[in-house]
Parts: sequence; C-alpha cells; structure tokens
Amino acid sequence: MITFEHVTKRYQGGATALRDINFHLDPGEMVFLTGHSGAGKSTLLRLTLMLEQATRGQVYVDGRNLSKTAYRHAPQVRRRIGMIFQDHKLLSNKTVFDNVSLPLMIAGMRYGDICKKVRAALDKVGLLSKEKSWPMTLSGGEQQRVGIARAIVGMPPILLADEPTGNLDPELSRELFGLFRQLNDQGVTVVIASHDLALIRSMGKRVLVLSQGALVDDIPGADIAGSAT
Amino acid sequence: MSITTIRRSSRAWGRRQLYSFFSSLGSLLSHRVGTLMTVLVLGIAMALPLGLYVTVKNLRALDLQQDQWGVITVFLQHESGEDQAMSLVRLINQELNVSAQAVSPDQGMEEFREASGFGQALDMFDDNPLPWVLLVLPGPAEGEELRELVAELDAWLQNQPEVDLVQVDFKWLQRLAGLLELGDALISVLTIVFSLAVVVVVANTIRMDVASRSEEIQVLSLVGAGNGFIRQPFLYSGFWYGLLGALLALLLFNLCLYYLRQPLEQLLDAYGNSFAVQNLGGKGAILTVFSGGLLGFFGAWVSVQRYLREIRENGMLGRR
Repeated sequence: MITFEHVTKRYQGGATALRDINFHLDPGEMVFLTGHSGAGKSTLLRLTLMLEQATRGQVYVDGRNLSKTAYRHAPQVRRRIGMIFQDHKLLSNKTVFDNVSLPLMIAGMRYGDICKKVRAALDKVGLLSKEKSWPMTLSGGEQQRVGIARAIVGMPPILLADEPTGNLDPELSRELFGLFRQLNDQGVTVVIASHDLALIRSMGKRVLVLSQGALVDDIPGADIAGSAT
Repeated sequence: MSITTIRRSSRAWGRRQLYSFFSSLGSLLSHRVGTLMTVLVLGIAMALPLGLYVTVKNLRALDLQQDQWGVITVFLQHESGEDQAMSLVRLINQELNVSAQAVSPDQGMEEFREASGFGQALDMFDDNPLPWVLLVLPGPAEGEELRELVAELDAWLQNQPEVDLVQVDFKWLQRLAGLLELGDALISVLTIVFSLAVVVVVANTIRMDVASRSEEIQVLSLVGAGNGFIRQPFLYSGFWYGLLGALLALLLFNLCLYYLRQPLEQLLDAYGNSFAVQNLGGKGAILTVFSGGLLGFFGAWVSVQRYLREIRENGMLGRR
C-alpha cells in the first residue's frame, strides 16, 4: 500500500531529513513510526501526502509512483488518505459538522448522504452531541477527535496520523489507539507517528524506528507483542 | 468511462458547484461591511459610463429634424416680391438641380407666430417686416459630400442680386455631430477604463479574501480539494461583487435620473421641444448587470490564479 524505495529528502537549506529509507506496507497493515522529534517522522508522512517531494528515490502510495505524479494530481492522492494532524488543522469559522463534512463536499456527495456519514463518523469518535459546536469551544482532545472524524469520514483506504495523542491524557490516548485498531481491523492501512512508547508496545503492531533521518529498526508486530508487559 | 460514471461525476460536479455557490454567498454575507464597501466602489465606477451613455443617447434622440440638416435659408432683399422669389426657385431647380421652396412673408409670419408664442406682440406691426425666404434643400448627400455641395450653393447664392443673406445651419449641426461623436468616443474610453477599474477592484478584494482565508485553503488542499474546488467560491464571489456593483450602479443612475428628469424636461419644453428623457432601457440594464458579473468573475479569476499559485509556492501548502 505504501512503499519507500531509497528515499532521501534534503531540504533547500541543506538539512537532510530522510536518508535512504526503504520499507513496504501491505494493505490492511498497521504500523507505528517512532523516533525522537526531528528524526524525520513528519517528513515521511508529508512525502506520503505529496506535501513534499523526495529528493531521491521512489514513493509509492496505493500503486501510484508519487515521484512521477504531477502536483496537480495531488488531490487524487490525498483523497485516498485520511490524515490526522498534531495541530488538528480544523477551520475555526466552520462548525464541527462542516469541518468533518469537507472531504465529502469535495467528493461532491449528496447532502443527505453527507449528513448520515458525518454523524456516523462523529458518533465513532464520541462527539455526536457536538456537531453544531465551533472548534474553538472544544477541548484539545475533542478537537483532535474532530480531526479524526474528518480523516475517517470518507472511508479512505489509508489513515496517517502525526502524533495524534500528543496533547491527550493517557486514558484518551488509549481510547484513540483502540479506535485506530478498530479501523485497521476493518481493513484500513494505518500509519501512526508517535513517541508514546508504552502505548505502542501495548498495541503489538509493527514499529519503524527513525533516527536522524535514517530507518534504524523495523520491528515486526510479533516481537512487539512478545515484549509487551 | 461508462454513461453512469459520467452521469455520477457530472452530478458530483453540480453538487460541488452548488456548495461553492452557497459558500461564496455565505462568505460575502459574513463580511457585510467589507462587501458593502466594495460594491459601493464598483457601483459608482459603473454608474459614470452609464450616465454618459444615457446622456449621449438622449442628445441623439433630441428632435433635431435631421431631414433638414444642411438646409440653406436664403433671405431675399426686402423689395423683392413673389415674382423674383419664384424665378429664383426655378433657377435653382434648373441650374443647380437642387430642390428649393419659397416661403412668403405671410407664411413666415404665421409660422413664427405659432412657434414663438409672441402672437400679440406681432400684432403691433402694421405691416409684415419679413422678407421672402427660400429654403434650399441640398438633397440626400451626407458628410463630406454634403458639405461641399452646401459650400458650392452658398457661394452661388451669395452672388445673386436678389439675395440679402444666406444662412447655413450646417456649421452648428456639424459641431453637434462632432460633439456626439466625441461623446461616443468618451463612452468607449470611459467604459474601458472603468471596466479595468472594476476588474482591479474585484481582483484586489479577492486577493485579500484569499490571503485572509489562506488557512482554509491550506486545510482544503490537505483533505484533497483540487484547484477547481478551492478556486470556485472565489470566482463566485467575484461574480457577486460585479453583479451587485452593477445593480447598485443602475440604482444610483436611476436615482439621479429621477432627480434630474423634471428640471430637464422643463428646460427642453421651454425650447419648444416636446421631449421625454430616455432611460437606459431593459436591454441595456440586463447587459449592464451581466457585464458587471462577468467583469467581477474575470477580476476574481486573475487574482485567484495568481495568489493560489503564490500560496502554494510559498510552501504554505507544505513545500517548505
């Protein structure tokens, strides 16, 4: 579903964010991306979302070689990916409902269907009662969940999350990870960048470890489960 | 692509348009004051060429008795009588192949009495002070040709011994025609200049809209909105600005006309010209509104093309 082949990303200033990254994710796989901040987790996600272009190497998403995809096709790539951002990226001038409905509006779905799907997504993250609220009136955790609802509302085959539990208490984090696992059980490919090692360990899924832009470890889920306490 | 796919995607396209349509209206309504200011500027800018256009249109419509353009009025000597007048008419007809008619002093007096309203004052004259008058009609020539013909006739008539005075209305008419032509040219220039102003004003407003909504644009792009989807609401906004501006221009213009109509018609009445001030007309109004919308759309398009690219190239959409 997602393949990186010898991917190097160097920023214009000369800093190398990623060097010679190789990995492959099968459809329906769930994987954690971990490492210190600045290790290149976000860059890796941004490459997948066509927010950046690899300096060298190939990135494949859903069978498409992004290095050879024109930027104007980026929307098509992004519509296949639900992205959850650390800073939520919600529109403050739109209600929770309108925020979540954006991907469906973009897809040109019928309004009746949009309502149904948005409510289902909000229900899944436990915010059905907040559909008419404004994002600013919600807590950080609630805003994060609105972001998740928006990412999953279009039922994309791929879900990317950049530090989704960064601002949440452990209880809520666990709940969210449970939600991700549930989605993964339904066949969604899930990539989560996180440095909550305890939580990652408890999930028993494959872990990619980045350090200073290099992929230093690729631990299969079975091994993680074995080390779980 | 199968028929159903096409149908489905065209329906999706329609729904996206509908969404953009309402979202553009919503954003205009949410910045009422700003919208009002922009529309006001556009309205005034568009009202000016409209006003000039209708002024010239009215001038043209004035009963200028265009069939008598180039009529030469020939006043004969006082002592000349009917015989001389008639023989001169014949001479003009035969020699110059130009039609002419004689107006007797009595006829002249009658016309003057009717037209001037000085009836009673004229009764004070014991005898008719008017001479015989010939009206010479140079015929169906136009422009340069007519002018040459008139000049020729003028010279010939001046040489006749019975003739006291030759009066050619031609110069005045030419000046008027020249003024009207200038008016037309001015309308063209003003229309171009103010259309440009409309485009620039809308472009600038949309530029600010784009800037103030860069966060929204960024998010839309992140969740997979294509350029079209992002651009559409701004284009609609531009269209609305132009359309509302044109409507306001029509309103302003009609207010002015309403205010000016009575004094204008009174003035023209006093010149003996029964005359109704003409308005723009339905077709003109529709054309104005339509072109207003179109100009606004164009202005928005120019702006959005440029600034969306800028936002993207600045890396606000991720290419840091």
